[in-house]
Amino acid sequence: MEAIKRSIWVFHLNTGSCNGCDIEILDVLTPFHDAERFGVKLVGTPRHADALLLTGPITRQNIDMVIRTIQATPDPKMVVAIGSCACGGGIWHDSFSVLGGVNELYRLMEEKYGIKPPLTVYVPGCPPRPEAILHAIACVRGLARMKQKRITYVEPPIEK
Amino acid sequence: MLEASRVGVVTEKYPYVSAPAPEGFRGAPRIDTDKCVGCGACSRACPSGALQVFDEEEYRVVRIFYGRCIYCYRCMDVCPQGAIVATREYELTAGDTNDLYFEVKLRLAKCVVCGRSFETERKIRRVLELAKERGVTLNERMLRTCPECRRARLAPKPPKR
Repeated sequence: MEAIKRSIWVFHLNTGSCNGCDIEILDVLTPFHDAERFGVKLVGTPRHADALLLTGPITRQNIDMVIRTIQATPDPKMVVAIGSCACGGGIWHDSFSVLGGVNELYRLMEEKYGIKPPLTVYVPGCPPRPEAILHAIACVRGLARMKQKRITYVEPPIEK
Repeated sequence: MLEASRVGVVTEKYPYVSAPAPEGFRGAPRIDTDKCVGCGACSRACPSGALQVFDEEEYRVVRIFYGRCIYCYRCMDVCPQGAIVATREYELTAGDTNDLYFEVKLRLAKCVVCGRSFETERKIRRVLELAKERGVTLNERMLRTCPECRRARLAPKPPKR
């Protein structure tokens, strides 16, 4: 991922989250974790934002609002999917009333509206630690490397 | 008054220095690839369906998707082999959901009658081992027969009602 050198202004977008991840986002902005060191600032409208902090599994009621918010964000935009709900649906993955993660939303956006999905960073955790969110910010700013890689173990042939 | 006038820095230095999570923190669960037998108990206990066990050609796949895991560690509680390892890793940031998988592929044994892959070799060996430990005699050929063939052999015709 290419590092973004400018300050990232974020808009917090709650799409049916249980507030766990939202509290952690607030925690990241407090003086103890102090995300403002990296130029992160919470703004009141997506039109001023560089990145959307998306929490929650995206409820059906919210789909239209979420798509409009993503469209309202000026390019080059970015989505930070925070929490297991936003990354893959979490505990609600098979519920009738949610989409289940941003990937489902992107598929819907591409198929139905022809909108290209923005650059996305996934931060799993239920809720993620404030340090995990800071790590994501550091990855975006080029201060840290993403450690998580897909691991596949294949059992070697067994002798009889 | 003196306490209040003291000046200091509370902000942590996190991204520049490592900050290990406290004792007892539930981080990403990993699978001990030597211990897992692919029984599927974890996938039944997983409330969010993050841990899935399914058969793929000649392998049984045990797959964790961290983008769905809620870190409840129920899989660890139910695992009869103690193969799920608790870690305190939390830096799981990924630019692609493909990176958020942990996969273990175990080889399947073939049924001695019909030749269909049905159960992991490891699980059969583990069952035999346990039987030996407890002094139970098991028919190994029966153990290596798939449920359909076993049924066909034990009850060739369905009972009339």
